[in-house]
Amino acid sequence: MKKKINQTAVLAGILVIGVVASAIAGDALAQAAGQWRDANHVYSKICANCHEIGVGPVIKGRNLDPDYYQSVVRHGMRAMPAFRPTDVDDAMLKQVGEMLSKSPAPGGSK
Amino acid sequence: MPSKYIALPKGVSEKAFDAAIREYREILGEANVFTDADHLASYSKIMIPDSTDNHTPSAAICPASTEEVQRCVAVCNKYKVPVWPISTGRNLGYGSAAPGSRGQVVMDLRRMNKIIEVDPVLCTALVEPGVTFQQLYDYLQENKIPLWLSCPAPSSIAGPLGNAADRGVGYTPYGEHFMFSCGMEVVMPTGEVLKTGMGSLPNSNTAQVFKWGYGPYLDGIFTQSNYGIITKMGFWLMPAPPAFKPYVIRYPEETDIVDIVETLRPLRLAMIIPNAVVIVHALWELGSFLKRADHYTGTGSIPDSVVKDMVTKNKVGMWNVYCGLYGSPEQNEVNWNIIQNVVKASGKGELLTAEQVGDDPVFKYRADLMQGKMNTAEFGLYNWRGGGGSAWFAPVSQARGSETLKQMDMAKKILGKYGFDYVAEFIVGWRDMHHIVDLLYDRTDPAQLKAAHDCFDELLTAFSKEGYGTYRVNTAFMDKVADTYGPVKKEINRKIKRALDPNGIIAPGKSGIWN
Repeated sequence: MKKKINQTAVLAGILVIGVVASAIAGDALAQAAGQWRDANHVYSKICANCHEIGVGPVIKGRNLDPDYYQSVVRHGMRAMPAFRPTDVDDAMLKQVGEMLSKSPAPGGSK
Repeated sequence: MPSKYIALPKGVSEKAFDAAIREYREILGEANVFTDADHLASYSKIMIPDSTDNHTPSAAICPASTEEVQRCVAVCNKYKVPVWPISTGRNLGYGSAAPGSRGQVVMDLRRMNKIIEVDPVLCTALVEPGVTFQQLYDYLQENKIPLWLSCPAPSSIAGPLGNAADRGVGYTPYGEHFMFSCGMEVVMPTGEVLKTGMGSLPNSNTAQVFKWGYGPYLDGIFTQSNYGIITKMGFWLMPAPPAFKPYVIRYPEETDIVDIVETLRPLRLAMIIPNAVVIVHALWELGSFLKRADHYTGTGSIPDSVVKDMVTKNKVGMWNVYCGLYGSPEQNEVNWNIIQNVVKASGKGELLTAEQVGDDPVFKYRADLMQGKMNTAEFGLYNWRGGGGSAWFAPVSQARGSETLKQMDMAKKILGKYGFDYVAEFIVGWRDMHHIVDLLYDRTDPAQLKAAHDCFDELLTAFSKEGYGTYRVNTAFMDKVADTYGPVKKEINRKIKRALDPNGIIAPGKSGIWN
C-alpha cells in the first residue's frame, strides 16, 4: 500500500501526517503582537502583501523617518488600513520603522 | 471640563468609565487597555461613507483568553458599558475595526489567535477569533497537511472566524463559509460560556463533525448579531484534490450577464461546477491594476465606450467568469467535456484554460483564490479612484439571467446619477447570486463622501422597493437594512436581544438590533 501512487496512498499519507499534526496542535505560528520573530517577519507577512506587489507604493529605500512609518501604520493612509497594537506592538513597530528607514531599495538600487 | 477620553459610552459618566477602565486593566494588564488617541486611531480608521466621529471608540480592550472575555463582560454589565467585539477587524468596506456607534469600547480579540486543532483525518479545524487566513494557511503548509482553505479576497490579514460570523464568502467548493463552519464557543452577555451543537455535551468529540446537536440549532443567531461573543469556531476544510483545473469564460457584452447565468446555473446546481463561481465585471477585473485617471478624467461615471476600449485593449471580457474543476484527472476530464459542450451550444463565451491564457497575473490571482491561496492584490481596486473610500453594496439576486440584468441596470443607473462607476461582480451560490458592488469614492473629498453616502442610501431604498434585500451592510446603514426586512423580524430580534442581554452591552445596534 505504501508504494502505490493513487488516491489510497494519498489518504494513507494524510493519516500519517495526522499523527504529526496532532502532536504539534496548539503551536500555531501566530502572526500578531508579541509573536513576531523580528521586523522582517512583520514586513514579509503584513507590509509586503501590498507594498511588494504594486498595490501600495514601495516603502523600502525611501530614506523616510522611522517615526513617519510608525504614524502611518497606526493611522492608516487613504486606502491603507490602520494596524492596531494587537497586530504589532509599539516596540516591534519601532523596529519595523527603523528597519524600513535604513533599508536599501528593492533590487539593490537606492 | 473636557473629558480625558476621546469619546464616552452613551449614558456612562466619566467617573463610572474610570472605574470600568481600572477594572479592565486589573484583568488584562496596562498594556492591553487603550484609551489614548494615538492607539485608538487604529480603531477609528474607516473607509465607509460616514463621519469618523460616528464610529469613534471610547477605549479598546484586548483579552487573550475566553476567561478574560468573561471577566471583561462582567465589568461591562456592572458599569453598563457597551462593547463592540472584533476578530481581525479587516472588514474594510463594511466598517473595519471601528464600533457601530460612537463611544463603544472595542473588544479586540486579535490576541486570541490559537489554532487549537487541525484534524487531518476528519478535515476540520478549530480556531480562535484572532487567527488570520495567512496564519492558518502557513500552518497547513508548514505541517504539510493537504487541506485547502476557502478565503475571501483579499484576505491574508483577515480571519476565518470573523468572516464566517459575518457570513462572508470565498471561491472554492467550500465558498459559503458559514455553511462550512461547525460548532462554536460563545461567551454570552451573562458571562456564561455556551458551546453550540455537540459541544455542549461533556466529553463530546463530535463538535466539529456534526452541526446540529440536539434541539434548536443556535449557531445562526450568533452570526451578524450581538447575542454573544464567539471565542472559538470550528470549520470543515477541503481535502486537496488530486487535480485542479481552473478556467475562465470571457463574454464581450454587459448584457451577456443573462446568457452567463442561464448557461451556468444548471451546471452549478448539478455540481458539474463545484465551486463558488465568480462573474467579474471588466471594471473590477481591470480596476484592480489600472488607475481611472489614466483612462477617464471627465465628470460623471466612466462612459461605457471608454470601458469597451479598455476591454479591447487589455484583452479581457466585459464579464469574466472564473471556475475550477476539482477531482481526479479523469473526473475533471469528464466534467470539462460537459462544460465545453454547454458553452459551445450556448453560442457565446470564450472558454480558456490556464495553458491558453499563459502568463496572465489576473488569471493566476483568480486561480489561486479558487485554491484558497490568499493575497491582497484586490486592494488594487482602491487605487482605481484613489482616496480610500469604499462601501460594499451587496444585494442578493436569484440565479436567473433576467434578474441579474435588472439588478445590473438598476445599480448602474443609480451609481451614474452620483458619478460613480459600476465596479461589480456576481458570486454564485447554488440558487442565488451575491451581487457585490464596490462603491469606490475619494474619501478625502467631502463632496464625494456625501455623494457616496447618498448614493448608497438610494441603492438600498431602490433595491428593497423591488424586493431585493442586502445580505450584509456597513455599520452606517445597519438600521436602514434591518428596517427593509420588516417590523416582525426586527421585533423578534429585539426580543431575543432583551432575553439574552438585558443590559444591552454587546454591540448595541449591530445589524439594527437594539434592546
